[in-house]
Amino acid sequence: MEERLYDLIFIARPATPEDEIKKVIHSIEHACTEKGGKIEKSEHWGTRKLAYRVAKHREGMYYYHQIRTGHGELIAELERRLHVQDSVIKYLTIRLDEDLKRQKKLGEKREKRAARRPRRPAAAATPAQPAEQQQASAS
Amino acid sequence: MAEEQKQAQAPEAPRGEGGGPRREGGREGGGRREGGPGGGGPGGPRRGKRQYFRKKKVCKFCVEKMDLIDYKRADILSQFVQERGKILPRRMTGVCARHQRWLGVAIKRARNIALLPFAGSAAGSTAPKAVEAHKS
Repeated sequence: MEERLYDLIFIARPATPEDEIKKVIHSIEHACTEKGGKIEKSEHWGTRKLAYRVAKHREGMYYYHQIRTGHGELIAELERRLHVQDSVIKYLTIRLDEDLKRQKKLGEKREKRAARRPRRPAAAATPAQPAEQQQASAS
Repeated sequence: MAEEQKQAQAPEAPRGEGGGPRREGGREGGGRREGGPGGGGPGGPRRGKRQYFRKKKVCKFCVEKMDLIDYKRADILSQFVQERGKILPRRMTGVCARHQRWLGVAIKRARNIALLPFAGSAAGSTAPKAVEAHKS
């Protein structure tokens, strides 16, 4: 089955002890290994100001993970786990692979077009420079 | 209605004309349209508010050849929303239709994880403070 790429962000309360955070992250990792997922990226964005109040907090600690998996149940499981945690005030999972696929496709299209029809001024400029250099070296 | 009022004010005070575009600029709230009030010189003051030269806006995402608008880049997204979180229309920012579509999705995703404010909610603690500053 085709593997999918997800973004998983969760916001923890600003004054959560580190042990608690580690526990949450560990539970995410545990769920991933159990259900056949792979954590590709794992970042800590630090304490940021929230754009609006969440659970009466104005700031929160952001944690970001990128997960690749072929099983949709893993995402459901992760969301369930985050929902249960008291220290997590907000979380979000977003499927990324379709956007990335589109990005790749558009990039290829652009490259192809550039290769098919090279720009006139650019093409004119590149041979002109070596010619000048040759003249300079000859003289 | 508002246009009529502006025109009515214009003959009384020539400064009112300059005030028009500037106020518009303020309303955009960090939008990237610039050069609105510039170039008022050669047209002459009598022709009303149409005489200033408007720069042609280009889609920022097309210029940078972005095929993906990342919802995590709140610094980029915040250029295309008002202070209170409203998504700015294309006619103000000059974004092309395709990128505006992606931009909308990205902004809505960013709102969900509290990187950007929702349009209805007050912009945190800054809004009340601003009101106090006006009073004093």
